[in-house]
Amino acid sequence: MTTLTLIWIVLPFFVGFIIYLLPKGDRYLSLIGSFASALYVIPLFVQQTPINLQLLDNFGVSLIIDPLTGFFILTNALVTAAVIIYCWYSDRTAFFYAQVLILHGSVNAAFICSDFMSLYVALEVIGISTFLLIAYPRSDRSIWIGLRYLFVSNVSMLFYLIGTVLVYKANHSFSFIGLRGAPPEAIALIFLGLFAKGGIFVSGLWLPLTHAESESPVSALMSGVVVKAGVLPMLRCALLIEEIDPIVRLFGVSTALLGVVFAVFEKDTKRLLAFSTVSQMGFILAAPAVGGFYALTHGLVKSSLFLTVSKLPSRNFKELQKQSIPRNIWIILLIASFSISGFPLLSGFGAKVLTLKNVLSWQDIGMNIAAAGTAIAFAKFIFLPHQPAGDLHHAPSKPNFWVAIAILLGGLFVANFVYYEAYTLENVIKPLATIAIGWLAYWLIFRRALVKLPVIFEEFENLIGFMGLTLVLLFWMAVV
Amino acid sequence: MLEAFVLATILCGFLGIVLKKNLIMKIISMDVMSTGVIAYFVVIASRGGVFTPILGDTLRTNYADPVPQAVILTAIVIGFSIQALMLVGVIKLSQNNPTLEINEIEKSDRL
Repeated sequence: MTTLTLIWIVLPFFVGFIIYLLPKGDRYLSLIGSFASALYVIPLFVQQTPINLQLLDNFGVSLIIDPLTGFFILTNALVTAAVIIYCWYSDRTAFFYAQVLILHGSVNAAFICSDFMSLYVALEVIGISTFLLIAYPRSDRSIWIGLRYLFVSNVSMLFYLIGTVLVYKANHSFSFIGLRGAPPEAIALIFLGLFAKGGIFVSGLWLPLTHAESESPVSALMSGVVVKAGVLPMLRCALLIEEIDPIVRLFGVSTALLGVVFAVFEKDTKRLLAFSTVSQMGFILAAPAVGGFYALTHGLVKSSLFLTVSKLPSRNFKELQKQSIPRNIWIILLIASFSISGFPLLSGFGAKVLTLKNVLSWQDIGMNIAAAGTAIAFAKFIFLPHQPAGDLHHAPSKPNFWVAIAILLGGLFVANFVYYEAYTLENVIKPLATIAIGWLAYWLIFRRALVKLPVIFEEFENLIGFMGLTLVLLFWMAVV
Repeated sequence: MLEAFVLATILCGFLGIVLKKNLIMKIISMDVMSTGVIAYFVVIASRGGVFTPILGDTLRTNYADPVPQAVILTAIVIGFSIQALMLVGVIKLSQNNPTLEINEIEKSDRL
């Protein structure tokens, strides 16, 4: 299994560079790379035993692969495969596919790292390849969005590095467990870096603009998997060290609420999805032990939504309400929105039940409000006017689009088996009530709400400034 | 003492990123900040002593810790490649935004 793991880690990078040499086979090669990851996780789920690897002596690279990681790796594999299939007939060059695969590999690497230094390297590679994907259209706007992303992530990673060396200073090791003996400033600095990478709380306000303005496949990749590279290390730290657990849970609740407040007032489809990503990251953090399953369902739903909204005639909800959208597109939106709202029969239901069962009593109110808010936000998609596709003068979607969506939504149905125990009467009633409250609130209040939340917090300098404030807040929490 | 100077460098870099209006100046500030972080690794490495840990004729006890120095090498390389990438992006941006003022870029971006 050790050799297999090493081959699996190196494969995406290797194949990624091969694509440069054989640009004709770019799509096939990149698809092979992502399927390899999907196959790799199967023995992991069957055996259920964690693999610990210590490469290169004492101060070398340490890796851990357990079922929690398996969920994240599976998400990564499915989303990458769907994105590649989605782009199959587009005129994107081999460079794009090579970057997608290198991004896939670095995200995998970030998922399995269990020491801070290897994680740093993996996160930086993610930053660079994401920047290249965002800036792929080479327009001024895309370059600016990419630069902004690279800036925020690099500054936060510099803070992270200071934290890393403080951990090393305290116990001569970079491993995650070393955070226990580390001074509070080390915890604050490291978490600041991970917050910015994972789009958590106010440090995550860079995310809406970046995810909304990138091309759809890139948004799907970023929302589906890339942000989770910052979230999984936090889950790991929370599971290893009980002092950190309350901090992670508290930020989980506040992130879920912050994201959902912005999402319900949003008038733009892609920005709504991006804010919802922020809020869903909060759900993952709120119950660290079961975050993996939630991450899987969220990754599948969010990437299918990002790929689908690109097929809508407009990005603005006001304009969408005035015209009809093709019914087949609407059905995809319906399934995905139902899953993310926690409707039974889709795995989003099981994930939400599992998460809400594992939150502590003080988190309960916040998480339920966030769940209702999610239902309100996605009611905007569910109640869009629609009619059969044949009646509309709308270019039919190519078969590769349907294959990509089938992979993602099929995964949602299959993943139901992970937590089939969720299907009890009591468990079914509660999410249905939440959704009913959400839809009622949508029809009575939010459908006509004209509140426009300020975008000033998303300005570049404020993002960096917030980083300083978050640092102070984290430091104070780590001390107390 | 040395540690205080290093931390001051990091702080100066961070303030530069927040306060400077020009994109090039922001990137240079980020470089200052990363220089500070690298220097901090070196300072931490030299807690036990400053001698290079190479086995020689005279045995010493006050060797510098090689681990932080080794890992920061990776960070230096990554930092420099990111800087190069950003400057390329800035070159492209400067064709339509010759001043490279961040407010101007954000304003034209929102239109």
